[in-house]
Amino acid sequence: MSASPAASPAPTARLEAVGLTRSFGGVTALSDATVRFHPGKVNAVIGPNGSGKTTLFNCITGMIKPDAGRVTYRGHDITGQAPHRIARAGIGRSFQLCRVFPRMTVLDNLLVAVCPRGLEAQLASSRGRDDIDRARGWLARMGIDHLETTEARNLSWGQQKLLELAGVLMADPETILLDEPAGGVNPALIGRIGTLVRELNAEGKTFVIVEHNMDMVMTICDHIVVFDRGRPIAEGPPAVIRSDPSVLEAYLGA
Amino acid sequence: MPSGSEPRRSAPALRPILRLAAIAVGAALILSFPAIAGNPYMVTVGIGILNYAVLATAWNFVGGFTGYISLGHGALSGLGAYATALLVTVAGLPSFAALLVAAALVAALAIPIGAAALRVRGASFVIVSIALVLILVLVFQSWESLTGGSRGLVVPRPFPALHRAEHHRVFFFLFAGLLALALAAWWLIDRSRFGLGLKAIREDEDKSEALGIPTFTYKLVVFVVSAALTALGGGLYALWFGDLDPVFQFSVLNGSTVVLMALLGGVRHLFGPMLGALVVGAGLEYAKLEYGDTPLHLVATGLVLGVVVMVMPDGVIPALSSLVRRLFGPREASIREVTAAELLEGRRRAPPPPPEPAPPRDDAAEVSR
Repeated sequence: MSASPAASPAPTARLEAVGLTRSFGGVTALSDATVRFHPGKVNAVIGPNGSGKTTLFNCITGMIKPDAGRVTYRGHDITGQAPHRIARAGIGRSFQLCRVFPRMTVLDNLLVAVCPRGLEAQLASSRGRDDIDRARGWLARMGIDHLETTEARNLSWGQQKLLELAGVLMADPETILLDEPAGGVNPALIGRIGTLVRELNAEGKTFVIVEHNMDMVMTICDHIVVFDRGRPIAEGPPAVIRSDPSVLEAYLGA
Repeated sequence: MPSGSEPRRSAPALRPILRLAAIAVGAALILSFPAIAGNPYMVTVGIGILNYAVLATAWNFVGGFTGYISLGHGALSGLGAYATALLVTVAGLPSFAALLVAAALVAALAIPIGAAALRVRGASFVIVSIALVLILVLVFQSWESLTGGSRGLVVPRPFPALHRAEHHRVFFFLFAGLLALALAAWWLIDRSRFGLGLKAIREDEDKSEALGIPTFTYKLVVFVVSAALTALGGGLYALWFGDLDPVFQFSVLNGSTVVLMALLGGVRHLFGPMLGALVVGAGLEYAKLEYGDTPLHLVATGLVLGVVVMVMPDGVIPALSSLVRRLFGPREASIREVTAAELLEGRRRAPPPPPEPAPPRDDAAEVSR
């Protein structure tokens, strides 16, 4: 049961949350939420502020433990595991307010995500040729390779967003959770991030995106889950979601 | 500042050679000090500074890499000192076997201590580390039957045949060797992936976890390494000085002085704590000579700590090197300038991709079953 990756032909990066509940004091952020994300697709989670989207991300990635419910990935129960274990199981994430390592160079921000296994690998130089080549590849793809030796805190907001994404990719996750990738970013860069997501998806990465920018969500996402008051109220492809009356009521306040 | 941030274009082959030459000169200066010093008193001052340098470098495994500021490392050096002494006097081990066993014991003890203390961050960790010292001083003062309490514990000399001056000379080189060991270990971690992970913890611990770094294990491992080296420093002190008193061994003040040294020199640099130990250690010795046992040296210590934290939070080494860069390297005065120039150049070469409002959607339409 445990290790049979060869058995299934389709991408099996299946991520599911069943009956997740989590409250902070008297506020219920997640209320018996069950979500099944589509492997190999670009999934979106949308919903009004405070509807539980980021808490869902935090429960999936182990940053907070749910009061009840389970999270499974590739058929394994990962509920309440340490975040680094979940990351090493293949789930990468970005943060709502972009987080990079400010006093590290752009290159080091990527090299840190190498995730060595074993004592020898941990004590090996952090500037291994292969690692550096791979890091430069991602930086070039993001278009920030000219900033390699700059400290991350000196980057613009948009550049930091790209750097964070490059760092997540450096860890080579199969499933990537992005928390508001378009937040505070200029329209040209939103387009570029959207294109990157589609390209990476075509290369086999599964995405789950929390985003308020409806243009972006409707253009790049395959499957949309709508959250309201801590649980999903609708899901489907963009065309369906766009005309769903309950979504319009909850989200657009119409 | 990590070495990777240095611009590579200025004579890349020359840099490591210059660095090696500087290290060789420094080592030669240290090793020739007992011969130059003239009298045994100066050698004991040198030993005191080397001891501080060992403790500050050992502290910097935790403070420098992970950013966890421990004011309680005095507890670890004190435990190393008492464990070494008791293993000689009570268990009858040879002096240097006792030293190694003591370091191993303190390292083992550091596992539960670290596991408890490293669960809290920031100011809470500082307070927990202080509590550790305060508890231990009470224990070692009260447990008179074993430790001799405030009457002190006499440690037999490892080389009873040596004259006092020879004794100091030998210990000067032993401390220098221990310092070399600590520096080599710090350098090894600094350049490793493990070290980069530790520095990521210093920057943003949650983000590090999310990238797959086992932050708790990393912190604990480096805490244990730091504890072992600190215990070696304390144990060697016990063998050299030959008399232990809990008040001095388990002292928050001594622990804080060591932290000041590391901060003054620069915690992000291999030789920062050593340099800080040289400056503060020499300063303290001078103050004690000139002003006896007035608390003036404490006032001075506090003032220096305040100035360092406010004026050069990264320590002397980065402050000096940025000053040198500003004076002699106008082209590299600011990272931003270079970046802007490179940006322009990059833009001229290849214009940024035009905004693409409609990325491929063909496969997006028929999804979701």
